[in-house]
Amino acid sequence: MHIMEGFLPLEWCLVWWAAALPFVCWGVNRLRQVLDADREALPLLGVTGAFIFILSSLKLPSVTGSCSHPTGTGLSAICFGPAITSVVCMVVLLFQSLFLAHGGLSVLGANIVSMGIVGPAAGYLVYRLLRETRVNLYFTVFLACAVADLVTYLTTSLQLALAFPAEVGGVAASFGVFFVIFAITQVPLAIIEGIVLALVFKYIVQLKPGIISRLRIFPDEAIRAARGEG
Amino acid sequence: MRYRLEILALVAVLAFIVLFLYATTVMPGAEYAGSDTVGSSRIAALTGRDPASFTPLLPQWKPPSGEIEAGLFALQAACGGLVAGYIFGRWKGESGKKGPE
Repeated sequence: MHIMEGFLPLEWCLVWWAAALPFVCWGVNRLRQVLDADREALPLLGVTGAFIFILSSLKLPSVTGSCSHPTGTGLSAICFGPAITSVVCMVVLLFQSLFLAHGGLSVLGANIVSMGIVGPAAGYLVYRLLRETRVNLYFTVFLACAVADLVTYLTTSLQLALAFPAEVGGVAASFGVFFVIFAITQVPLAIIEGIVLALVFKYIVQLKPGIISRLRIFPDEAIRAARGEG
Repeated sequence: MRYRLEILALVAVLAFIVLFLYATTVMPGAEYAGSDTVGSSRIAALTGRDPASFTPLLPQWKPPSGEIEAGLFALQAACGGLVAGYIFGRWKGESGKKGPE
């Protein structure tokens, strides 16, 4: 879950806004380039964005006795990279801040950094590392999506720990506290999210292998192999 | 196997449900509050401040009730579902016209 409005001191709100804005601007620019180059990328962007909308609205109970929601950002990170993902996330987070009192405008920067930038970037890194290997394409998607989800909440824990260091033990102690609340709760949800998004990717591969190949998301051989085995 | 991923997803969701049901028996008093609410109360405890003293820095509209909030969350999911369904449907229609690629 995102940081709530009012729960981050003003100076930290500004720091995270300053960190998020250049990235979002870069994302808008990238978005224009990608869509200019290939209009067929637009429906794919729609699908990946739609799953961020769906998954980030589902508050699920977890083994820790609290609830959290998946992020759904991994698929977009794989298909379009973290920059464009940050723009899509900003739209979702803005919707949630304005209409659901979930997150907030002052903490929007911090929440974009965790859910829109660091999480997707971590997922993207996993995808890039596994892309050229012989690892199964769907397993790569699963792992990248699960990592994007988990790292989002690791980042939230770190953001809160930096703003509220414990009196004894400082940032590290406080990170431990928030890690248990945010990241441990997230583990089962991240696994489910990874599997669901791998399944979504399977349908994209089956219906539109052309766009995956043109955007060079996966090598052609990997797409052919994945289509063959279903 | 053709439906390997589907079966895997189904098993994972079932395992998730069983795990959840088991957790409810182990922790009967669990509130299942949002992790953001739990985190915020921990912030209040860390700073020694009253949770009510954390007021929004920017004015924020709050859904008047839990029901309305749940409805708006459902609306968010529905918007996503609509777009995803439309695009997948269009892709499916296109692939049908051309025959299998």
